[in-house]
Amino acid sequence: MKYPDSKGHFGEYGGRYISETLMPAILELEEFYKKIKNDKEFKDELRHYLRNYAGRPTPLYYASRLSKLYDSNIYLKREDLNHTGSHKLNNTLGQALLAVKMGKKRIIAETGAGQHGVATATVCALFDIECEIFMGVKDIERQKQNVLRMEVLGAKVTPVNAGSSTLKDAMNEAIRDWITNVRTTYYMIGTAAGMHPYPELVRDFQSVIGKEVLKELKLIDKFPDVLIACIGGGSNAIGLFHPFLKYKEIKMYGVEAGGLGLETGKHAASISGGKPGVLHGNKTYLLQDEDGRIKEAHSIAAGLDYPGVGPEHSFYADKKRIIYDTVTDKEAIEAFKLLCRLEGIIPAIESSHAIAYLDKIKNEIKGKTVIVNLSGRGDKDMETISGYMSENKIV
Amino acid sequence: MANNINKIDELFANYKKAGKTAFIPFISIGDPDIKTSFDIAKALISNGADMIELGYPFSDPMADGKVIQKSYERALKNRVTMADAFNFVARLRQISEIPVIFFTYYNPIFAYRTSEFADSASAAGIDGVLVVDLPPEESFELKQFIDKKNIDQIFLLAPTSDISRIKLITSYAKGFVYYVSVTGVTGARRSLPAEMRSKVEEIKNIKDIPVGIGFGISSPEQAEEIKNYADAIIIGSKIIQFIENNLNDKNNIIKSISEFSYGIKSSLM
Repeated sequence: MKYPDSKGHFGEYGGRYISETLMPAILELEEFYKKIKNDKEFKDELRHYLRNYAGRPTPLYYASRLSKLYDSNIYLKREDLNHTGSHKLNNTLGQALLAVKMGKKRIIAETGAGQHGVATATVCALFDIECEIFMGVKDIERQKQNVLRMEVLGAKVTPVNAGSSTLKDAMNEAIRDWITNVRTTYYMIGTAAGMHPYPELVRDFQSVIGKEVLKELKLIDKFPDVLIACIGGGSNAIGLFHPFLKYKEIKMYGVEAGGLGLETGKHAASISGGKPGVLHGNKTYLLQDEDGRIKEAHSIAAGLDYPGVGPEHSFYADKKRIIYDTVTDKEAIEAFKLLCRLEGIIPAIESSHAIAYLDKIKNEIKGKTVIVNLSGRGDKDMETISGYMSENKIV
Repeated sequence: MANNINKIDELFANYKKAGKTAFIPFISIGDPDIKTSFDIAKALISNGADMIELGYPFSDPMADGKVIQKSYERALKNRVTMADAFNFVARLRQISEIPVIFFTYYNPIFAYRTSEFADSASAAGIDGVLVVDLPPEESFELKQFIDKKNIDQIFLLAPTSDISRIKLITSYAKGFVYYVSVTGVTGARRSLPAEMRSKVEEIKNIKDIPVGIGFGISSPEQAEEIKNYADAIIIGSKIIQFIENNLNDKNNIIKSISEFSYGIKSSLM
């Protein structure tokens, strides 16, 4: 059985829980995507931009010192080397080509860490489309660099001052804008979540990650035992995992943001610490109180600071095909430092969660081949890191 | 109970015969506090409301503009629960037979458990449920339970709805169809799109069902125009604005809303 089904459900998750005003646009997008996704010209064009503009394929790098530390064979999928510094561009290039072919004149997006915002502003410059990015004021504060990047690329960054003033509120505001301007505007969701068909199409565009890993491993005649990726909405993770799901023997770990620890309630681990509900167009695991109000998430990583997760992850969590677990802020920072010193790679704090998980399963990975998705680079995080270190008196 | 005629259907049947347009005000349960919101409901009923739409506050109201967002925020500070909401409706039932429409987003219903929601809503005396993020495609999980309780599930149509959506929704709709007058979120607007009338006629050509118009309506003048072709007008943000403007003066909230309500009702006569 292929997921999602024809109505956009992954088992009981996913779907289209949205206002009627948006339904025609969603149905139009679904139809259009269905028609174009196997179109040779579209695929060639996307391949051209991924290769010549984004710089793909990204390397699969054997991290020898990290491997030695854990007595295993660890490969890092270097999405940090993708243009704009993260995996986000894989999705925005695909969606921008869709938007252009649909004749849309304006693109809107939400952003948390700013990586999706930058990737969206980038493709809007490339394809000459008007661009507006919604971003929580708290995120604007902690990701100033990315705000500047969006602005120099020509995007309008609209601060969102509601609720927790982070990613979920930015998404609410983007949806409100879309309801208002749906006739002319394309909504570019940044993760494999939201109303159908977004979880499917974002997954498809991000699956280039896993497909490349398959090819790269074939060249060196290896096959993985374990895959690890961090999970906010979960687009980098599903992008790595999806092409491998058919290989039942491969273990997969999705690492959620444990924040200050699950027991404190201050985390962003929707699967490990939440329950199913409906938000932003899909049914999925959510952080919520007993009355069904959405709770604020907490993570040092702005890109993981979201109280929900893509519906396909909820589906595989229940099936136990993918194991979901957490890493705290503190553990992520330790892993951040480790990768800097051992491999000369400054990872995004988001991706540092995936690195940190190696330590949690160090007994299991001995002698095994492990792929870690290094979803982004950490240049954007310097202020956060130095703030954390001085606050916690770490030198 | 389940065999009784639904109060919403009954009202529209009577109004159709009399050629009248119904006034449906919207307020949030718990804004500015539970007691005052109950007093507002009473004031609306005694000043011309034909039905009442009660919003159950949600943390992420994606289809709502600033005024209702802030109303929900005030209500959430008062920690309004689903039990409070049912209690509110049950108390309203003791003083009035007016049809009550419960308006919210799906997650609070899902968290309460959909089947239990249907039981409690029916016991409290709710006549219709409008879940803004539950289009027909996802509506079955609620419909299967509220149908049994003879509660109408109200659906939205929008300016973006084409003929296939109108056909689909009118085939699902019970009570009335809520036509969203503007492509946008809730909130008072000075001018409304001219296409409104033709769209309502288009809907009625497809199915003879009552059509209520909401989103953006804010004045007796607008109501007077709309009564010529719609079966109900729904006003929310404009009423809630009176609460926001008088947060420190509850008497003035009641007074201004009563006057406004009376003015709207008069324009529909």
